[in-house]
Amino acid sequence: MRILLAGAVLGWLAVFVPARADTALEYAVKAAYLPKFVPFITWPDAAFASPTQPVTICVLGNDPFGAKLEESASAARSGERAIAVRRLTAPDPNAVCQLLFLSGDAAIAEGTLDAMKGKPVVTVTDSGLKAHGVISFLIEANHVRFDIDDAAAAQDGLVISSKLLGLAHAVKQRGQP
Amino acid sequence: MRFGGTYRELMAGAALAACLAAPAAQAQQLAQADVQQLTLEQLANVEITSVSKSPQSLSTAAAAAYVITHDDVIRSGATSVPEILRLAPNLEVMQSSPSAYQIAARGFNGNSAAQNFPNKLLVLIDGRSVYTPLFSGVYWDMQNVLPEDVDRIEVVSGPGGTLWGANAVNGVINIITRKASDTPGGSVTVGAGDQYSSAALQYGGSFAENLDYRVYFKDFYQRAFNGAGGTNAHDGWSAPQGGFRLDWTAGQDAVTLQGDVYGGAEGQFGLPNQLIGGANMTVHWQHPLDEDSSLQVLGYYDETRRTVVNGGGFTLHTWDLEVQHNFKLGSWNSIVWGVGDRIYQYNIADRAAPDTSLLWKPGRRTLNLANVFAEDSIPLGDALQLTMGLKLENDPYSGISPMPSGRLSWQVAPDHMVWGAISRAVRSPTPFDTDVVEKLGTVTFLTGDRNFLPEQVTAYELGYRGQIFNRVSLSISAFENVYENLKDIEPTPVTFTPLRWANTLEGNVHGVEVWASFQATDWWRLSAGVNVQHMDLNFTSGASKLLGTTQAGDDPHHQASLRSSMNILDGVTFDADFRYVGTLPDPRVPEYVELNSRLGWKISDTLSLSLSGFNLLHGHHQEYPGADQIRRSVYLETRLRF
Repeated sequence: MRILLAGAVLGWLAVFVPARADTALEYAVKAAYLPKFVPFITWPDAAFASPTQPVTICVLGNDPFGAKLEESASAARSGERAIAVRRLTAPDPNAVCQLLFLSGDAAIAEGTLDAMKGKPVVTVTDSGLKAHGVISFLIEANHVRFDIDDAAAAQDGLVISSKLLGLAHAVKQRGQP
Repeated sequence: MRFGGTYRELMAGAALAACLAAPAAQAQQLAQADVQQLTLEQLANVEITSVSKSPQSLSTAAAAAYVITHDDVIRSGATSVPEILRLAPNLEVMQSSPSAYQIAARGFNGNSAAQNFPNKLLVLIDGRSVYTPLFSGVYWDMQNVLPEDVDRIEVVSGPGGTLWGANAVNGVINIITRKASDTPGGSVTVGAGDQYSSAALQYGGSFAENLDYRVYFKDFYQRAFNGAGGTNAHDGWSAPQGGFRLDWTAGQDAVTLQGDVYGGAEGQFGLPNQLIGGANMTVHWQHPLDEDSSLQVLGYYDETRRTVVNGGGFTLHTWDLEVQHNFKLGSWNSIVWGVGDRIYQYNIADRAAPDTSLLWKPGRRTLNLANVFAEDSIPLGDALQLTMGLKLENDPYSGISPMPSGRLSWQVAPDHMVWGAISRAVRSPTPFDTDVVEKLGTVTFLTGDRNFLPEQVTAYELGYRGQIFNRVSLSISAFENVYENLKDIEPTPVTFTPLRWANTLEGNVHGVEVWASFQATDWWRLSAGVNVQHMDLNFTSGASKLLGTTQAGDDPHHQASLRSSMNILDGVTFDADFRYVGTLPDPRVPEYVELNSRLGWKISDTLSLSLSGFNLLHGHHQEYPGADQIRRSVYLETRLRF
């Protein structure tokens, strides 16, 4: 019973302490996913300045990946293009990003998603966010999965291969409201 | 003095402590660079949660948790659940006959001469609890799973009483099978060896989108060993089993329905075969409520039957229903709470004979085991995580037992975690503790005790888990378990008999479990495990000390394992598992080293072949007092997929 009481006191104290970022493995998996999405996505030609310009993955704000994303990006390619990683400290409509990962602050994520509508940028939202990008991570039965909003992709001029759609947990089809 | 004979038929077995071999937990390794090598399909299969019932990465679980992965299972060549469990460095696995095993964690592997059987583990197969409520041990011969259908086995040493509840005193073994969608198509597996032959058929597919199924059937025959005296023990056995699994996802909801039916016959020297049989059906429903909360419902029915000689045997029916709710309170409290109720109904036929009788007073009962639990995980700053829980279990004999636990993990650096825990768990009294009457001729020589108390443990644990030098993952766990009210035997004053069960033994067990895995090259992995434990038991004042303290368990002081896993060529793997088990003190069984090895060859996508050798270093060896001599064996298996 003493343990229980001690635990209760600690627990009461704990509610005054702020939350922290989540586990390393979950984000290692997400960091591995991001560059692997790239070969299955076709951007409009206008999205790139040249045929060999790298595909840039941008991480806005809170960065849960550390060096893991650079490691997995450096190991991947998409045709002629290498994959680069860029961190943005604030939303920047002029930043060159082909894939934009949003995590952390829900309000910033929603605002950014609105601003990106119609642009050839694959928005990827983290699990736990209410707002969903073209790709949205989710945790299902202890696994990291992703949904694809192919309707939004169509509006942004993006083509996502059927193979990637087939691997998604759920797909919102083109033309669906 | 040997009491074992009477009870032996019913309790099926005795066997010993061994176990080793040790790749470190998959999750730990995957936490690093390995994840990057995975394909999109494989990434979706990475388990990011664990032991705890609420989502949590295994690499941050504050417990001594070891995961046997699907790959480990296949590459070990093991054909039965107990042999697979030899891969966990934090278990003692001792085989005593072709069908019987004694398995324990952190000691208390039993002592059959004192009618003490390993009884402090909770074993789950897809959520269904399979330890028997009749004596809290596990009939390992009745727990069969196709090795290729095992997704993973989580082995937690130390109490899991708070979350997992009943009987998780010294550990939890959580066997999780693959989803039907992970095992599509058909396979025929045929194997033959000098000791063991088997055939298995499985077919899986989809009835509709999001509705996957598989069905399987397996039969085998395992030859008899020689007994301790070196003559044929006539204890060969076979146990055909069939079953199915259905997985249905509808939107965010996931429902699984699965069941098995089995029978079996086990030889007994000079006696008719012992017959086993059973059936079970489990339904599991997961329902997300919103982003941060979910509901899980688990229900099952399980029937087991054993017959022995002279009419002895039992039938046991179990009904279980559990509901669990996970949610977040504020942005920091992750709470999981739930309720569960289990009803056991059993009917034991007395074994009555002129020389020795085993009677149960009463022989039929309906027991109800209920629980309610809650656990809260709270981050304390960036690197600390506190998990507190409490379970209240209401067992039919001793009433309500509180099982609190507090766990703290500290992520010292991204790849280094230190954890500590204090927890309490109990083993509730069973019919074997309270209702049994054993007679020698007409003399009652042993009776149960209606006032038998729950055996209790308070465990203090401290551990480290992490990644060093980029290629080595390491886990170290130290424990100090303080036991009270341990079961022993006391004589009746003056008349001596009848002897009766009592709770006059107590004491401490402390030890260290270490395992590590070293990815030497991308094609070669070495894994090792060592555990050392010291049991310091003593009798309470006034106890008779009749059978000494080793009646609680005849455990090795230390054991170790070394495993090599090589991908030699494309599609060709070679694995070797050395295991060392120290001397069992009393009754004495000598220390031994043994080797299991397997060469696997995937000839094409449809055809694979493997050659396994078990216990290769000696013609035979013994693992438990009075038990059979385990023979060296070889086994060739071929699998055709269609």
